[in-house]
Amino acid sequence: MPELRGTVGGPVVTEWFGTQDLYKLDVYKQKGGYAALRKAMVDMKPVDITNEVKTSGLRGRGGAGFATGTKWGFINRDMPGPKYVVVNADESEPGTSKDRYIIENSPHMVLEGIMIAAYAVGANQAWVYIRGEYDEPYRMLTEAIAEARAAGYLGPKPMGIDFPLDIRLYRGHGAYICGEETALLESLEGKRAQPRSRPPFPAVKGAWGRPTLLNNVETLATVPWIVNHGGSEYAKRGTEKSPGTRLMSVSGNVKKPGVYEVELGQTFRHVIMELGGGPPDGRNVKVFWPGGSSAPVLPESMLDTHTDMEALAAARSMGGSGGVIVMDDSHCIIRAAHRLLKFYAHESCGKCTPCRVGGDWAVRTYERILANEGSQVELDILQRVSDALQNGRCLCGLGDSAGWVIDSTIRHFRSEYEDHALRHECNVGAVTALA
Amino acid sequence: MTIDGQSVTVPPGTLIVEAAKNVGVEIPVFCYHHKLDPVGACRLCLVDIAPGPPRPQTACTTPVAPNMVIKTQSAMAVQARAEILEFELVNHPLDCPVCDKGGECPLQDFTFRHGYPTSRIDGPRLHFKKPIPLSANIALDRERCVLCYRCTRYYDEIAWEQELTTGQRGVQSFITSQFDQPLTSIFSGNIIDLCPVGALTSRVWRFESRPWDMTQTGSVCSKCAVGCSVTLWQRRGQLVRVTSRENDDIDEGWICDRGRFDYTDVNDPKRLRVPVVKGAGSTWNTAIDALAAGIKGKGPKLGISLPQDLTNEEAFLFRRLLDGPLKGAKVKMHGRTALPEPDPNQLLIKEIDDARVIVVVASDTEKDVPVVNLRIKKAVSKRGAQLIVVHPDGVDLDRNPHTVHVRNAAGSAAAEVEKLASHELLKSPGGPVAILFGDGHGSEDAADLAAACAELASKVGGKVMPLYRATNERGALDAGVAGWDKLDGVQALLSWGPPPTAGIPSSVKFLATWDHLQRPDHSRAAVVLPATTFAEQQGSYTNLEGRVQFLRPPIPVAEPLKESWEVLTELAVALGLELGYTGIFAVQRDAAQTLPGLADLAEPPSPTPVPTPVLIGPAHP
Repeated sequence: MPELRGTVGGPVVTEWFGTQDLYKLDVYKQKGGYAALRKAMVDMKPVDITNEVKTSGLRGRGGAGFATGTKWGFINRDMPGPKYVVVNADESEPGTSKDRYIIENSPHMVLEGIMIAAYAVGANQAWVYIRGEYDEPYRMLTEAIAEARAAGYLGPKPMGIDFPLDIRLYRGHGAYICGEETALLESLEGKRAQPRSRPPFPAVKGAWGRPTLLNNVETLATVPWIVNHGGSEYAKRGTEKSPGTRLMSVSGNVKKPGVYEVELGQTFRHVIMELGGGPPDGRNVKVFWPGGSSAPVLPESMLDTHTDMEALAAARSMGGSGGVIVMDDSHCIIRAAHRLLKFYAHESCGKCTPCRVGGDWAVRTYERILANEGSQVELDILQRVSDALQNGRCLCGLGDSAGWVIDSTIRHFRSEYEDHALRHECNVGAVTALA
Repeated sequence: MTIDGQSVTVPPGTLIVEAAKNVGVEIPVFCYHHKLDPVGACRLCLVDIAPGPPRPQTACTTPVAPNMVIKTQSAMAVQARAEILEFELVNHPLDCPVCDKGGECPLQDFTFRHGYPTSRIDGPRLHFKKPIPLSANIALDRERCVLCYRCTRYYDEIAWEQELTTGQRGVQSFITSQFDQPLTSIFSGNIIDLCPVGALTSRVWRFESRPWDMTQTGSVCSKCAVGCSVTLWQRRGQLVRVTSRENDDIDEGWICDRGRFDYTDVNDPKRLRVPVVKGAGSTWNTAIDALAAGIKGKGPKLGISLPQDLTNEEAFLFRRLLDGPLKGAKVKMHGRTALPEPDPNQLLIKEIDDARVIVVVASDTEKDVPVVNLRIKKAVSKRGAQLIVVHPDGVDLDRNPHTVHVRNAAGSAAAEVEKLASHELLKSPGGPVAILFGDGHGSEDAADLAAACAELASKVGGKVMPLYRATNERGALDAGVAGWDKLDGVQALLSWGPPPTAGIPSSVKFLATWDHLQRPDHSRAAVVLPATTFAEQQGSYTNLEGRVQFLRPPIPVAEPLKESWEVLTELAVALGLELGYTGIFAVQRDAAQTLPGLADLAEPPSPTPVPTPVLIGPAHP
């Protein structure tokens, strides 16, 4: 069991992590688990739960950072017919492993959050769309659900309230796009995973055309704590607009990669240099991705950027999924960008034109640059493709992310691009490291 | 709201792309089609919308809102669209000089009007094996495809078939038939009209001609009683292509594969063009005299087989002959149902849209009335109608999982229909009920069934539609010539159109045929007259809902072929009946005055001009 490594202002999600056998229902209950569910279902009205989450200021931890309470409020609880809660456990963002960490440590906390959310929005059925490669988390969730069913938390009358509740798991089949909420719904429905045009948003027309609440694992895992301690207590942490804490998966060229719960508003210098232990000896941080590979990169000079979403937006990046990828100065940014673009081109679902064609075009352009066949034309094409992928051109965020990789690396490392494209040379030491 | 400075008022819920058509502003689209659900995939319709986020948005998925200001020509929107078009061309083979779509291709036209003037595309393009035959009639070129998904969405939404899908993902995505099996749907050809590029082409027309080499007329399909509007394309006296022509009252822009691909007989080099008497070419006068001599005064010993696509004018003239010199002859119309003349409480095809419950009795509508079948599917899947089918076997409409299928024993449909009055769905249908009935291809007693359906309609507040099958069965009924006689035992037979389905009776001593193709039976015929086809003759059809529609032939009747009204008039003279018609208009005027069912023939509307391919919406509206 990984030890809890340094949080500021008291941990929230990882509060009980490290407890022996926390994944078992009785241990979880002993620590105080399912008290929040009892409080929510017995003592609170559904609308109060939603209001408590609104008070907490919790924002979605999946990537977009939308206000969770507001999202819950979009679902019309009184609408007749089925409604669903769908949990995004697809966690396919490169550099992100927090959902897996949560599920493996405390699957019941996730289930409790799902149940509270389902009760708050009036959904009797919840689905966990879990990444296909996550064997162990899948097994642990399966066992946890069986335990919860046996204990009556899931079933016709959880907590003695006449509100039938069930959670089912659905394993993905390994496509990055399935982490996009509408593509996830298509995949859940058994169709080809391609995003839908929004509006209508899932809150109005989601899974099987019914109102659906879609939340990330971490978001829902935070909910029991908020119900237990009150939304205002949660809001004391973090910054005013990005309250609370979040789990950051630190990876790449750091001495201590791992998942850390960080109070929002801390600097990335704290996350990378102190929590992550900094780059290997003799190396310096060259660049880091502050929120998974989809977030625009930030150079070493911006290590003092704060982790809250406003500060990151001001730095022309974003909080994303909280995956902090660190690359030291032995690596060539062009090769890194090329590798990432290959990923985005490979994972494009092919539905919308810019993402389908643009990603592939950029990859071929990078390949010409890396083969020392580049010129100003290639740089222009990259910039143009990048512009044409961003700002509403694409159906979902995948295309934007591909564009941001090109755009942010060119913005911060223009001289390196020019070295490669115009002078056909690479001035970075060990260029083969990421090849 | 305003679009490019022009103010426009449209009903709420209208999409911006539709609103723009009202003021003549072109918003280019590939994936959007006004008969399909919007999907927002191609991203070509990006426009600048205020109020809204500072980025372009898709006009095809955004409904209008009051006081919205839309700019299609802002720098942001213009650049966004040009970039999308550039993307579309990155892997496009640019084989326009040999592409069937060239000249009527939205990708060409939009690139000229909205794209960058110069190309920056270099490097290798993506290649696919091509062309892929999707079926005997349709070829797929995956390199030209822009992946707008119109074809797959049409298959899902409109045709309810699972034959067409997408393979792979990302830039490698391609359209493919399910498990690489040939398409079998009778509605497959519509994807050719839907395709905004040259990816889906007709193998029947492939490499035949260029759009600018052809002339076109807006005509009516002659293959069944639905009477879909079609465009007939002619080049050098050949009928080279048939495409749909949107008519929301009947077909909504869809036609079936029979109407689309079944036209090559018109161009058959072995077509009959000269009259033949006793195996030798002859003049019309000799042939008509020989025919008249063979059939005159035979009374009930004369049998006459009529084609299913007999025009109203022909039916009227024929009626005159039956009333006069050919009185008593046995008449059998090809392909007709046993259904009686329609109830006055007649349902129109477009009224199916608003039905809350649709009852289909004794007919597999997919085969009998294909495009009405699509209309039923639309009412069910897009408008939430309930569906009840009474049929002994599985039918196409069973694809809807909520279809209530009453499996009757053959011959008992009328009894089942009587029981339906107390059916749960029909107790309070919550709106109009549409009752469509066929004759079970002879298995049902058509008169009983019609009466049962009429009674059900009056009980539940619905209307009925008899599903005639023969193209102009309804017009022939109006003219009183839609015979249903058995031809056994006749001594003389005039076989007009294809030979009788039961074959030529062995009792026949004098056989005359009037046909446009050579057939084996013709060797027995004493007289063979060459006939015109739907692509040459003038006239009109009455479709199954009673709508009179006029054929607009693209090909002139070339000598020695003769128009049918002229042949019939001359035959009447030879039989001793002076009709005195000097042209088809005179026939139509007389028919309108004589027969109430053909009153609409009095004033043939001037032909609706077929618009040149419009680039907003479908390629051939």
